[in-house]
Amino acid sequence: MLYTDAAVIGAGVLGCFTARALTELEISVTVIEEKEDVCTGITRANTGIIYTGCDNRPGSRKAAMCVKANREFDQLARGLDVRFSRCGSVMAAFGPRGEDVLRRKYRQGLSNGVPGLRLLSRDELAEAEPLLSRDAVLGLYAPGTGTVEPWELGIAAFENASANGALFRLNEKVIHMERSGSRFILETDRETILARTVINCAGLSADAVREMLRVPAVRIFPTGADYIVLGDSLKGQIRHVIFHEPEEKRKGLTIVPAVDGSILAGPTERSADLAPEGATCAEGLEELRKLCAEVVPDLPLTEQIRTFSALRPNPRSVQRENGRWVPVDHSIRDFLILNEDGLISLIGIKTPGLTCAAELGRFCASLAAGALSGPGRNRHFNPRRTGIPRVHEMKENDRAALIRTDPDFGEIVCQCHDVTAGEIREAIRRGAVTPDGVKRRTGAGMGVCQGCRCISRVQAMLTGMRKNAPQTDSPGHSGTEKPEERHGIY
Amino acid sequence: MEYTDILVIGGGAAGMAAALAASEAGRRVLLCEKEDRPGGILNRCTHRGFGRAFLGRDLTGQEYAGFFAERLYKSAAEVRTGVTVLSLSQDRTALLSGRKGLFRIKFRFCILAAGCLEKTPGSLGIPGTRPAGVLTAGTAQLLENTDGLIAGYRPVILGSGDVGLIMARQFAESGREVVALIEQKDQVGGLLRNRRECLEPYRIPVLLHTAAVEILGRDRITGVRIRDLETGFTRILHCDTLITAAGLIPDRTLCRDLMPAGRLPDWLRLCGNCESIHDIVDSVTREAMALGASLGQEAPRK
Ligand SMILES: Cc1cc2nc3c(=O)[nH]c(=O)nc-3n(C[C@H](O)[C@H](O)[C@H](O)COP(=O)(O)OP(=O)(O)OC[C@H]3O[C@@H](n4cnc5c(N)ncnc54)[C@H](O)[C@@H]3O)c2cc1C
Ligand SMILES: Cc1cc2nc3c(=O)[nH]c(=O)nc-3n(C[C@H](O)[C@H](O)[C@H](O)COP(=O)(O)OP(=O)(O)OC[C@H]3O[C@@H](n4cnc5c(N)ncnc54)[C@H](O)[C@@H]3O)c2cc1C
Repeated sequence: MLYTDAAVIGAGVLGCFTARALTELEISVTVIEEKEDVCTGITRANTGIIYTGCDNRPGSRKAAMCVKANREFDQLARGLDVRFSRCGSVMAAFGPRGEDVLRRKYRQGLSNGVPGLRLLSRDELAEAEPLLSRDAVLGLYAPGTGTVEPWELGIAAFENASANGALFRLNEKVIHMERSGSRFILETDRETILARTVINCAGLSADAVREMLRVPAVRIFPTGADYIVLGDSLKGQIRHVIFHEPEEKRKGLTIVPAVDGSILAGPTERSADLAPEGATCAEGLEELRKLCAEVVPDLPLTEQIRTFSALRPNPRSVQRENGRWVPVDHSIRDFLILNEDGLISLIGIKTPGLTCAAELGRFCASLAAGALSGPGRNRHFNPRRTGIPRVHEMKENDRAALIRTDPDFGEIVCQCHDVTAGEIREAIRRGAVTPDGVKRRTGAGMGVCQGCRCISRVQAMLTGMRKNAPQTDSPGHSGTEKPEERHGIY
Repeated sequence: MEYTDILVIGGGAAGMAAALAASEAGRRVLLCEKEDRPGGILNRCTHRGFGRAFLGRDLTGQEYAGFFAERLYKSAAEVRTGVTVLSLSQDRTALLSGRKGLFRIKFRFCILAAGCLEKTPGSLGIPGTRPAGVLTAGTAQLLENTDGLIAGYRPVILGSGDVGLIMARQFAESGREVVALIEQKDQVGGLLRNRRECLEPYRIPVLLHTAAVEILGRDRITGVRIRDLETGFTRILHCDTLITAAGLIPDRTLCRDLMPAGRLPDWLRLCGNCESIHDIVDSVTREAMALGASLGQEAPRK
């Protein structure tokens, strides 16, 4: 039996930031995550855009949080040592419908307090984005839009929360919840956990987790999304995030110049049934290629290095009809945060959930503080985290000095992104247990060869270090891990 | 700053031969190889079929590599293994990284012999899941032939070029069932000799006009949906591994920023698979020797 003041269910970007915000309080914090690593859910597969808030209705929680989060993002990224590129965005309209949308978003952005918005003429648009189709007639420029690697942000919050005392229990799934007096009893597949407040950040399962204690009110109805990633050989050819506003009523194309130099195109909007979880579907990819040909006809799709899919956690109110829970209306538009007697649930947090992760975490922590009747502040809280050195971004002198003190940082393992053995070693020490975990922490295997050349070395380092290293070496880990079984043969 | 007449990047068949020839012409030569020993692709080739033309012997890839590595180490050329060339600059310097440090080196000529990249499953964009067990032929060879691991037991092999054929044989030879070798075109690619030596003795099922259209399986691959491109008919091949041998692309990442006019600077030459994809190592060796020797004539004696 384990006692904790606050239990967080799910270690996606929202669970990690909630945990981080909770460690600012003088309470014990336990995070329970089903998977072998943090940030492998929605946080792993999304568009990675840091939005400005001009897409959200004035007065909504989304608008307020997003504008504030965007304004503070440089500081957040610096403090957590996360790469953040404030590349700006252009939204492009191709006809009267799109123009209306742009003008509406422009006004909406102004009233939300989004700085620097400007409408662009056709020529200005072409100058800003040379690859954009000349059929675009009007643009909306938002200098504040940016992009991050979503998992990098989440992992940074995880490491910082761990350093500040949060206990992360991985490979552990919450399967049952009960209330006993003022406490919650959480049954996991390994342990019974007693908690005074529970923050449900279970992503796509947040509705199911909530329903362990409450009657259904909101359910998640996932839809699917597909993406295409182009390699960094095209670096610099797309300068801003491009939002295409289509004339017909359908999903437009988004193009993102990612921080690692690759280019992301997507997401589609399709039924989740078209492909199993984690799978792309042919129709989706075909649709994307068609959209690219229309919107950015000269973008060479031959440079594709991978495709991936995602699931959107659309929340909808449900009511009982003939013994079944059926949705009553369209997807709930605003962030839905329920506080039911100390059970705090984030349900169906879609865009801009990544942008607002720190805000949402802070908000949940304040609700939790209320449920815990106002705990004191943790005076030792340190908001700063230092990331794994990104050797290829260092100045030559610093890099040479680092190699002199630690030769592992001279040995290149991933040639696509010049990732060294030192960085990989550090990623493993910090909690990577699979090649994928190493990839998300260092970028090794993310480049044009997709790990063909480095996977065997990365796997050998994982096996070697996990055999030799003391378990306590990785921050916040506890319990057994079982990744090798899955990755022993390829 | 250190200086060398000729910097050779890559210690595969091409780099070794170029370095040998240039140093025999009396030049100061430095060869940098990222891995901890020279050989490149050859090091993962445990099959025979190397050196028939150039050496008049039928060696394995590893033996062929050994033959040249031995001569290379005896030559005057300096060999640095575990050293990666990170970048090349117009001022004819290169940035090198290894466990001994980060160095800049100045040179007169540079021979880029960095080999090739494989087309990856990701670049093919086959719809479906992304389970374990989907890998390129090169990765499979690396795992099996140098790391002593098992890539899989019941593979489908995609692509019937030489690489695909050799992979099929590697699996079949060790008693594993190759579910099928699939090929989009209407005939098997690859050299006649490989078709004869790799397919026939093992009765490997070959499906022509066939494309992989979906990858199935959650954690590990369980099957590939294939489409007959003539009839449009699809069906599932059950397997535990998909090996892609879908083509090789010269790896010229290092000179990407050096060709604003689309032309290589005159101090930079390409050879081996980095110049164009070669099926037979003997021609790589021959061409690289000629290049090394001719640059050996051009470079000023120091
Ligand atoms: C397609 C798409 C594109 C998006 N693009 C953007 C964007 O560009 N910008 C932006 O700001 N936002 C974007 N978002 C929104 C943003 O990605 C999400 O709001 C955010 O990632 C949600 O994180 P999460 O922590 O809730 O979910 P997750 O990352 O899924 O985390 C939930 C975790 O809970 C765990 N879990 C579930 N059940 C249990 C259980 N019973 N026990 C233990 N653990 C459990 C899961 O394993 C998982 O790790 C996008 C979303 C989608 C779907
Ligand atoms: C699967 C397969 C089977 C084959 N079978 C046969 C056969 O049976 N018979 C036959 O004759 N031929 C065969 N070949 C063809 C032949 O082996 C190759 O064409 C030849 O070995 C290519 O040599 P290379 O030097 O151009 O490239 P590689 O062998 O790829 O060498 C390139 C080297 O450069 C290094 N390098 C790259 N970038 C850097 C950098 N930045 N810094 C430092 N070092 C770097 C790499 O680590 C590598 O060692 C086969 C090829 C393959 C792929």
